[in-house]
Amino acid sequence: MQTNFTAEQLRDPDTATSNKVLRTCVHCGMCTATCPTFVLLGDELDSPRGRIYLIKDMLESGRPATEEVVRHVDRCLSCLSCMTTCPSGVNYMHLVDHARAYIESTYRRPWHERALRGMLARTLPYPGRMRLALLGAGIARPFAGLLPKSNLGWRRLRALLKLAPRRLPTPDARDRPGVFAAEGTRRGRVALLAGCAQRVLDPEINAATIRLLNRLGIEVVVPKAAGCCGALTHHMGFAEQAHASAEANIDAWCAEAEGDGLDAIIVNTSGCGTTVKDYGHMFRTAPGALRDRAARVSALALDISEYLTRIGYAPTRAAPGLTVAYHSACSLQHGQRVTNEPKALLRKAGFTVVEPAEPHLCCGSAGTYNMMQPDIAERLRARKLANLQATRPDLIAAGNIGCITQLSGDGVPVVHSIQLLDWMAGGPLPPGIHANHHAE
Amino acid sequence: MIVQPAPKRDILARRDAIVAGLRELLPQSGVIAEPLRMKPYETDGLPAYRQMPLVVVLPETTEQVAAVMRFCHREGVRVIPRGAGTSLSGGALPMEDAVVMGMMRMNAILDIDYADRCAVVQAGVTNIGITNAVAAQGFFYAPDPSSQLACMIGGNVGMNSGGAHCLRYGVTANNLLGLRVVTVEGEIIDIGGAHLDAAGYDWLGLLTGSEGQLAVVTEVTVRILRGPEGARAMLAAFRANEVAGACVDSIISSGIIPVALEFMDRPAIHACEDFAHAGYPLDAEALLIIEVEGSVAEQDALLERIREICLRHDPISLKVSQSAEESAAIWKGRKGAFGAVGRISPDYLCMDGTIPTSRLPEVLRRIGEMSTAYGLGVANIFHAGDGNLHPLIMFDANDPASLRKAENFGADILRLCVEVGGCLTGEHGVGVEKRDLMGVQFTETELNQQRRIKSAFDPGWLLNPSKVLPLLPEAA
Amino acid sequence: MTVLAPADEAGILAAIAAANEAGEPLRIAGRDSKAGLLRPVQAARMLSAAGLDGITLYSPNELILSAQAGTQVAALVAETAAKGQHIIAEPPDFSALFGVETAPSIGGVVAANLSGPRRVAWGAMRDHVMGVRAVNGAGEVIRSGGRVLKNVTGLDLCKLLAGSHGTLAVLTEVTLKVLPAPERRATLALPGLDPAQAVAALSAALGSPYGVSAAAHLPAPMAARVPALAWMNRAVTLARIEDFAASVAYRSEKLRGELAHVAMAELLDDGASQSVWAAVRDALPIAPEPGAVWRVSVRPSCGPGVAAALEAAFGAAWFMDWGGGLVWIAGPATEAAHHAVAEAARAAGGTWMLLRAPEPLRASVAVIPPEPASLARIRARVKAAFDPRGILNPGRMYAGS
Repeated sequence: MQTNFTAEQLRDPDTATSNKVLRTCVHCGMCTATCPTFVLLGDELDSPRGRIYLIKDMLESGRPATEEVVRHVDRCLSCLSCMTTCPSGVNYMHLVDHARAYIESTYRRPWHERALRGMLARTLPYPGRMRLALLGAGIARPFAGLLPKSNLGWRRLRALLKLAPRRLPTPDARDRPGVFAAEGTRRGRVALLAGCAQRVLDPEINAATIRLLNRLGIEVVVPKAAGCCGALTHHMGFAEQAHASAEANIDAWCAEAEGDGLDAIIVNTSGCGTTVKDYGHMFRTAPGALRDRAARVSALALDISEYLTRIGYAPTRAAPGLTVAYHSACSLQHGQRVTNEPKALLRKAGFTVVEPAEPHLCCGSAGTYNMMQPDIAERLRARKLANLQATRPDLIAAGNIGCITQLSGDGVPVVHSIQLLDWMAGGPLPPGIHANHHAE
Repeated sequence: MIVQPAPKRDILARRDAIVAGLRELLPQSGVIAEPLRMKPYETDGLPAYRQMPLVVVLPETTEQVAAVMRFCHREGVRVIPRGAGTSLSGGALPMEDAVVMGMMRMNAILDIDYADRCAVVQAGVTNIGITNAVAAQGFFYAPDPSSQLACMIGGNVGMNSGGAHCLRYGVTANNLLGLRVVTVEGEIIDIGGAHLDAAGYDWLGLLTGSEGQLAVVTEVTVRILRGPEGARAMLAAFRANEVAGACVDSIISSGIIPVALEFMDRPAIHACEDFAHAGYPLDAEALLIIEVEGSVAEQDALLERIREICLRHDPISLKVSQSAEESAAIWKGRKGAFGAVGRISPDYLCMDGTIPTSRLPEVLRRIGEMSTAYGLGVANIFHAGDGNLHPLIMFDANDPASLRKAENFGADILRLCVEVGGCLTGEHGVGVEKRDLMGVQFTETELNQQRRIKSAFDPGWLLNPSKVLPLLPEAA
Repeated sequence: MTVLAPADEAGILAAIAAANEAGEPLRIAGRDSKAGLLRPVQAARMLSAAGLDGITLYSPNELILSAQAGTQVAALVAETAAKGQHIIAEPPDFSALFGVETAPSIGGVVAANLSGPRRVAWGAMRDHVMGVRAVNGAGEVIRSGGRVLKNVTGLDLCKLLAGSHGTLAVLTEVTLKVLPAPERRATLALPGLDPAQAVAALSAALGSPYGVSAAAHLPAPMAARVPALAWMNRAVTLARIEDFAASVAYRSEKLRGELAHVAMAELLDDGASQSVWAAVRDALPIAPEPGAVWRVSVRPSCGPGVAAALEAAFGAAWFMDWGGGLVWIAGPATEAAHHAVAEAARAAGGTWMLLRAPEPLRASVAVIPPEPASLARIRARVKAAFDPRGILNPGRMYAGS
């Protein structure tokens, strides 16, 4: 597609990258059809092609972002379904990330939005703060229904309160930094991204990951200095904060890699995985050492399902006679293009795996999206749940905490795939699951 | 460059009142009037041509469409219908004084009748959406344009879209039973229905492919077909275009009509393989994708006969797909071909001429010569069974000279198509892109006949008026 | 009546130009085999295309055949058969129905858009018209389409002229898509089904993956008139499969098995299939019926209801083609019977055509459904766009136009 940047503009590396992305786009429109917001809203402006056009116009003009552009860019889930669809290989992710950072630096949002976004950015990445916030939300939750539905600000608050779990899980013993030794002969050594929100919302996921890996002979290290991957803030356009988080992780993991060595950096929250795998791009213009280390981290990063496929997984229990609807998290299927591994592993573990219609559509979770855009998120959730339930599953499995939280509470238990794999390989029965008679 | 008719000054002057009038007819989000938000509607799948519209409307019901049409008719405002905006001929290019009417919100499937093998859908349902809705029962909607993922049935009707499988199943016109349309005066008319072959003039046939010139399509009754027991694709690679062309001839003359018979030349093979990883042979000059249907035994028997025919043409390689995934990848590459060219060139113009199939080698040779003369690359994709050729001319839109060369190159290719007995467009429509070439294929008498039909439906020339038919001197 | 039968397009052009000049109406015909169809035309002179005879292009490898409009369909059938190909829509010959000796021309079946049994699976006559040459009422040669299989260049006048019964322009040449003829045919004949069971079975057959290419139901009296079916002595429900021999054997057995719960089908071989479907195509079972003949086209599942209603109304004789979607009806040539047919078709959301009737009835009723006022206005303007002085077949389709 034609672009109109000045030579001066193109000297900015972010603009130069975006120009390259825009030139790849041929405006064919294939992306519109698989975009959740276009499917719901039926407006070119809420499609990837429309947003690309808006972003192009904004960047070319060099003017501050306007309310119109912000509205439509904000509605993007960053599910990256468009990237799976795009035949031309347009890197929409890098373009929209640039646009978000540009918006944050040139556009002043209304006070209530600034407050909410700031609060989320200061809370979610920090497990301690988040636990406190959720305790507070738990107290407020019963009153969510009393909040007016009239304006978006209130609806956002309602959504936020509704997402807070009724009961906060107690932290798991494994939910701490340290080295978790392999059982038997050590076959490998990996670092685990323990994450932030996930640790608070469902510590059992990390616990199951570590248990299973240890049992398979893998030593797992969770470095003390590693924390949030930076995705949550990155997607809100808070570039500095995101880069700081990422840099801390890079330092921590490289220290491990240079120390006792690492075969892989394991991520079991696919939203984070997409970001960690993109550290190389994030620091592409950084000073040499950091750039190289970031690229190295990205190269080592693997989703847990990719790693298990690589080292081999086999169940030790009899098939449980359960049908699992596999929900493909966008960050996994579109962001990382990991599609078959989780299903193959679940089948190998003895589950009957079914897939819903419209598997490419986002469930509406999308990081902080379900708090910032509650109306669209709720419609996507309902659509996804209807498609999932049409497969008549015993339970739903996904590889991303955001989706799990979004889809929970509607009757069918939702768990992380790793919990099922761990269970079938000797781990405990995941909470909420009722094993059929032939299991256990 | 494309000349648009001069905008009506009085319409531009009354823009605010017109927008206000439209706001009374549609939900709040259904009228887009801020320049910044109209911007993405300034173009479609042919972004080399752009024009900001007067205003964009997004109706949700046939009644809203009718209300908008009545209003525009009364006010003398031009209307450009728009589906998914995937037209490669600029079929949805706006005009400065025109309302763009986007049909994307009318995306409901209204009825599916398996016993009578038909479905009623709104104009904004995507082509693949119809097949997806009936696939569980083993049915499908046959026309499958490459953009089927995104393009909408209303647009398919407008352009009489084809696809890779129309050698066997026909194009859009052959798969429709009925339409609900809104006339330029805003009246709602039902054409056809769930039955075959309405008595009276074939309005269904005339409206299909009329490129939004005659009426606005809001609902479509399509035939749905039961799919075959199975289908399998085969890749046959050859060392020269001529050889592949001769092989196509041999297959057809043997009495076998494969459900699809697709041809790609070397640049196209490379671009698509990079996207789809389908195992296309990268050492071939020409590749045929040949698909057959039936039970496994029937597929085997047909593929064996085709294999024997191919072997007589000294192929570089022959490969039969071994799984559904492999077949899907083969088609993903072919269907993503246009976009995939975006990987090797920043911009392309996609031509859509048809030629008598026997002239393929000669036409490809002459296109190759033009490519050298113009200094622009070209990748060729060809529905070999039905003679529909898609040369993709690669250029750089950031270089105005390059765009002009590409336009001239494209025009030369289409003149060549007509010269050898073919036509300007096989399935993309004339749009604005080929409008000024219509005189190459038609006499002025014939064009006037078409203009009079347009006038019979749309006396004031309000519907998509700058497309298809060359502008009369006074309008330009 | 004066008959003008020029030998070429220039002659057609001259005749129309003269008539246009004089404002004199012309009755338009191919070989005039369907004079009894639709409304009678009041014209002192007839313009016949019978002199425009002969194939102008046949390229089997490109699946393309062009012929002058007056060429006999039978000649094209023979020519394509010699190359192992066929005219896809299986156009009918209604000479028995109309009691004439004349065989139809290709221009005539295109102008009337008449298709045979294969229509249900492979499209109508108009679906395979790739190009036309014609002379409009103003005396101008107009072309549309071409000699290629796919073409969307400009408005599709091929389709508009197909089925316009010579009221817009006179066809001088048509170009058709042809296809390889099947190597073998077989027909499943299910005995003794009632109309509803029959249509359900035909829907299942057409909705099967076995490529059923024709589907009809003949009540016992109609079946008795088809030599290859008479021995069955009952109503017969027919489904045809045609393809390579091995496929036909495999698919007809599969389909037979899938329909076994309805009735055990007899399997008619290639020869019997050809004669049975030729009879269905040409409406031979209903041709001997006295009085009027109508064709009603409805959603297939509505076919039995239309038949039942008309049996009750005037003791109609009938049979169904196109999987139940085409109901052939015979009954008294009265306005009352005609209105009953029209009402039954309308109630089923379908369309009708009075195909055969004495002239007075054809002159006094709407032989095809009237259009809503808004569409009728457009039709009048389209007619004028081709034929400004209204000289071509005036009143053939609608009274007064």
